[in-house]
Amino acid sequence: MALRLNAVDFHRPKCPCFALPTTASLRSPSFFMASTLRSASKEVETVKKPFSPQREVHVQVTHSMPPQKIEIFKSMENWAENNLLIHLKPVEKCWQPQDFLPDPSSDAFHDQVTELRERAKEIPDEYFVVLVGDMITEEALPTYQTMLNTLDGVRDETGASPTPWAIWTRAWTAEENRHGDLLNKYLYLSGRVDMRQIEKTIQYLIGSGMDPRTENNPYLGFIYTSFQERATFVSHGNTARLAREHGDIKLAQICGTIASDEKRHETAYTKIVEKLFEIDPNETVISFADMMRKKISMPAHLMYDGRDDNLFDHFSSVAQRLGVYTAKDYADILEHLVGRWKVESLTGLSSDGAKAQDYVCGLPRRIRRLEERALGRAKQAQRVPFSWIYDRDVQL
Amino acid sequence: MASFAASPVSFSAVSCTVKPNQVSNLRRASLSFSGKSSPSRRIPALRFRVACSAKPETVCKVVDIVRKQLALPDDRDVSGESTFATLGADSLDTVEIVMGLEEEFGISVEEESAQSITTVQDAADLIEKLLEKK
Repeated sequence: MALRLNAVDFHRPKCPCFALPTTASLRSPSFFMASTLRSASKEVETVKKPFSPQREVHVQVTHSMPPQKIEIFKSMENWAENNLLIHLKPVEKCWQPQDFLPDPSSDAFHDQVTELRERAKEIPDEYFVVLVGDMITEEALPTYQTMLNTLDGVRDETGASPTPWAIWTRAWTAEENRHGDLLNKYLYLSGRVDMRQIEKTIQYLIGSGMDPRTENNPYLGFIYTSFQERATFVSHGNTARLAREHGDIKLAQICGTIASDEKRHETAYTKIVEKLFEIDPNETVISFADMMRKKISMPAHLMYDGRDDNLFDHFSSVAQRLGVYTAKDYADILEHLVGRWKVESLTGLSSDGAKAQDYVCGLPRRIRRLEERALGRAKQAQRVPFSWIYDRDVQL
Repeated sequence: MASFAASPVSFSAVSCTVKPNQVSNLRRASLSFSGKSSPSRRIPALRFRVACSAKPETVCKVVDIVRKQLALPDDRDVSGESTFATLGADSLDTVEIVMGLEEEFGISVEEESAQSITTVQDAADLIEKLLEKK
């Protein structure tokens, strides 16, 4: 699922920071990733009653794209049909979760399950914390399909709209749906995690939703999804590598397969934005700067398990420490996109466009500098319990 | 020089019972009622800040660093009372400003202290405090 994401967690490196979301400082992904909660102009606190899920409290802006630009997306429908839909895989050629799981119709089922559980025993708790966080994010797919359908000009008006945009969104959702299913079944069979707590977390998360601050604006929306798809690709790639290191080749294949979907999705979304840079460079570069100022909030930043008020921060910290998704990855992704979309060589921009261009091009360096500094000041982190693993604790 | 930041001191019990023609006695108090006094004689509400404030040179250095970070035009006023937010600093700017201050003054700012900085004056005061400790 593209929009799933671990937050980049600056937890390890502790940086000085202020005027940041209450949930944290540079210590947590919230500085760069999770902040739906802050922006240059709207400093808003998270309203949080103890032991209750957080709500998005910032002012939710809607329909920020000027209505005349909706035409642009209508006129892109042919382009989308020929250039976007080709990145979907026909269902008949797609993998299904069952391909990677013990076969219930087979006599060997019980043995296969036993093997799976044996391999899982060798994998440490901290890895499972990260895998569970990823799975929960994937399982919140309804939120992401909703988010795509909030975008003006490209939304699926009826749920079965024949426009290429709508076809893309439904098929993308269908492909993503397998990710959560597969991880869910694997975790269920593994015996290493508290499924009930995980299921509760998912219920809370879907109930919370998320506002990535894309304002019904497809420029913002597709930049956001481009970033997120690449982030999920990186992160699932890392969980695959770690699974292999822990001796579970099958789990490595699971994560790797999911990662390859994400890569394909990344290709598609970045292509859309590339086209937008061609058609409307000013609006697109300004949108890019805007999303980066908003720091690409993580879809699961409101996650809650009924017990830990800082669940997302804690999860992200572990993800950072294990190298699954880090501050460096965040900077790398940004830098990649700046290059992919050739932002540096845009010309003929308005003064606002040029400012946005400068901001975006200069940002990776600033982030890396911050990160270096934070690493230099890293303090010993605490251990916290995670309800997902029966309250066993893990080092942040 | 004491700096006054604003937070109203309220005499809410008193103000409830005070009739308009009796206000004159209370006017001589140096603190105002929050919201209860008549608009024509509103004094900005005052709060004593007991800490001594930083040396002017420190404030100046902070101002320089802030100007540079935010690329402010020369005609833009920056003083002790200026808040980072109104100067147009986002959270990334603010962190970079603190980093700049750490480098300039050879200090290390803890997250918790950093989070309380909202104005140039706050930054200067914190710097002096940290320099004293060294």
